Amino acid sequence: MTLKDTALYIGKAILFGLIMAAVFLIVTPLITGQGNHSTFFQQRGQNGIELSFSQAVRRAAPAVVNIYSLSINQNQPLNSGSLQGLGSGVIMSKEGYILTNYHVIKKADEIVVALQDGRKFTSEVVGSDSVTDLAVLKIEGDALPIVPINIEIPAQVGDVVLAIGNPYNLGQTITQGIISATGRNGLSSGYLDFLQTDAAINAGNSGGALIDTSGQLIGINTAAFQIGGEGGGHGINFAIPIKLAHSIMGKLIKDGRVIRGALGITGEPINPVMAQILNLPDLTGVMVTGIDPQGPAAQAKLRPRDVITKFDGEIVPGVEMLMDRIAEAQPGTVVTMTIIRLGKYYDVPVTIGENFGEE
Amino acid sequence: MKTKLSLLSAAVLSASLMVMPAISHAAIPLAVDGQQVPSLAPMLEKTTPAVVAVAVSGTHVSKQRVPDAFRYFFGPNAPREQVQERPFKGLGSGVIINAEEGYIVTNNHVIEGADEILIGLHDGREIEAKLIGSDAESDIALLQIKAKNLTALKRADSDELRVGDFAVAIGNPFGLGQTVTSGIVSAMGRSGLGIEMLENFIQTDAAINSGNSGGALVNLNGELIGINTAIVAPGGGNVGIGFAIPANMVNNLIDQIIEHGEVRRGVLGVSGRDLDSELAQGFGLDTQHGGFVNEVMPDSAADKAGLKAGDIIVSVNDRAIKSFQELRAKVATMGAGAKVKLGLIRDGDKETVTVTLGEASQSTETSAGAVHPMLDGAKLENDKKGVEITDIAQSSPAAASGLQKGDIIVGVNRTRIDDLKELKAELKEQQGAVALKILRGKTSLYLVLR
Repeated sequence: MTLKDTALYIGKAILFGLIMAAVFLIVTPLITGQGNHSTFFQQRGQNGIELSFSQAVRRAAPAVVNIYSLSINQNQPLNSGSLQGLGSGVIMSKEGYILTNYHVIKKADEIVVALQDGRKFTSEVVGSDSVTDLAVLKIEGDALPIVPINIEIPAQVGDVVLAIGNPYNLGQTITQGIISATGRNGLSSGYLDFLQTDAAINAGNSGGALIDTSGQLIGINTAAFQIGGEGGGHGINFAIPIKLAHSIMGKLIKDGRVIRGALGITGEPINPVMAQILNLPDLTGVMVTGIDPQGPAAQAKLRPRDVITKFDGEIVPGVEMLMDRIAEAQPGTVVTMTIIRLGKYYDVPVTIGENFGEE
Repeated sequence: MKTKLSLLSAAVLSASLMVMPAISHAAIPLAVDGQQVPSLAPMLEKTTPAVVAVAVSGTHVSKQRVPDAFRYFFGPNAPREQVQERPFKGLGSGVIINAEEGYIVTNNHVIEGADEILIGLHDGREIEAKLIGSDAESDIALLQIKAKNLTALKRADSDELRVGDFAVAIGNPFGLGQTVTSGIVSAMGRSGLGIEMLENFIQTDAAINSGNSGGALVNLNGELIGINTAIVAPGGGNVGIGFAIPANMVNNLIDQIIEHGEVRRGVLGVSGRDLDSELAQGFGLDTQHGGFVNEVMPDSAADKAGLKAGDIIVSVNDRAIKSFQELRAKVATMGAGAKVKLGLIRDGDKETVTVTLGEASQSTETSAGAVHPMLDGAKLENDKKGVEITDIAQSSPAAASGLQKGDIIVGVNRTRIDDLKELKAELKEQQGAVALKILRGKTSLYLVLR
């Protein structure tokens, strides 16, 4: 191969590459531009760029409703219900399913849902779950606004978010902040699961929407960190991530409640001292510390100090994963727990029971 | 082989070229005034000099009834009321809106009852301000300072604001010194809060605290969109719910104050209520927001323009309104004589009418300082015989002139007056000292105002 050949070869390649690149350059903006991939800010105006979240608000806000829970006073049957609870909710589907917080509608005799266009509906409770503080309501209406949801991309610390709700019954209010911390998405739930945000959330915001800057739902606003009875204002607020809320909603619509599996054990993570005493290979697994005598684990003859290392063949790295797997398991199914007892491995079949939760 | 290789290298090259636009896409277009870093600093450099600290001092007068037991000891001539005067100081914020004239907008509640108003400029200067006029019902006051090299804020069309727009509050919270907080517009047209008589607030989550009152709410261009006025504060401090009087309302009010020294409230002459879903259903309407007209006062501006009971007012000057209160706040701050285009729904059809607003009925109380400086501190109301002084502030110019509560002004010099309008007109004509003819109980007397 002569020098000329090489030069020709390289030249061809470069030329071809440049042409391809040019084609890409022309085509990609057309595709991505139409895909509306970044509506983080909307641009407007001639003298400079104006930045606003109004586009995101316009997409999501109509689907965020005001929820009034009324209690009927039995002694005064002629009096219509008095306002007992105030909150917000999010219309999730055109069938009229609304996600809100359980604590918003907990003690209600009658629930009134007010849309932003002025329409009012009385609604029924489809189902509720006290563990995750979620409830699903249903209204019958035409052309209901629906919130777009973002279930695939998890929220990250630092993402800009907007909270939509009805604080103090002032009327619909949008507040802005960032994701301050994120948690898990498992079903066993606890405070850890929440998205934490510094967008202002106050009484009446409960059950409302936390959206991203493209207007998609990423969480259900639930609680504000409070000191004494002082109200919010500390910039520490919590929302249930949409992935968890969405799966709970599906279960509530299907069964009217969330059916959680139960094993009837208490457990704790392995610390190095225990690992040495029990002669364990490493720190993975969960040590059983207590057994409910009527529970499924007792029936399967599990004992305290057993160390659960696998759940149905899946390695158990820690307590949270095991709790999630148990909660997600269908009651009645048989799972195989791999345990270490006195330094030996055993496979123990356990029939999952049901966790009826605590009210 | 060669073609394969060249295709491969071509792909690599084109891919590497593609990365560049991809990176510029990934970097969210956070350019403000050409700055790469998302910072409000360039905008604020231009706007913060226009926001001032307002320090006021005055005397609070509180009256306490003297218990009858004491009257027994001190005899029947002992005063019925014990008057306590307590000096007070207050802090707030203000916004320079006209650099040449030195006009400063603030809240009425910041300067109310003040004997002295001191303006602290951004550059450190301290200048005494004169009160040009104020309106308690909308909570706006206009001050004036004499100073050079002032910076004024441009005013934006606040009707163009949308929920979700960025908003930046500039003020003087807790007297800390100038403070800038950022947030967004949380809601528009907020009314029915019971904070002011006339409410049509912009709601924002930018932190507003005590001392921010009268300060500026600006957009990202540094233009004034509102005057920060109030917050919802269950624990005393900011919880992300603040309210600002929209710039357009401020404009209307200060235009009137500059022209007349007071706000001449425009009157439409209707009473009504919010349109709600029940009413809308009853009337078979698609719209769910607006002001429902219950009654049209005879001979009022609304009557003359042909409004009828049962009309639903859905827009004011082509801007949709949400509630009757919003309509009321908008109309009342537009000023008497203003022409207003109202969008109506009548019998299911859309219509527009243009109304020339009337002037507020003279029987309403007027701040007397605008009538004559020596009447300042008195509250005037029309009476059958003339103009009654319904209340008078202690150690005010009016009290110093010898006026008393219950006095009825029936004449100026030798001209008889019947109502406030005539009193105003007559006093405007007079130069120097004037003699007021007063009815006090059954006696009539003359008092001289200097």
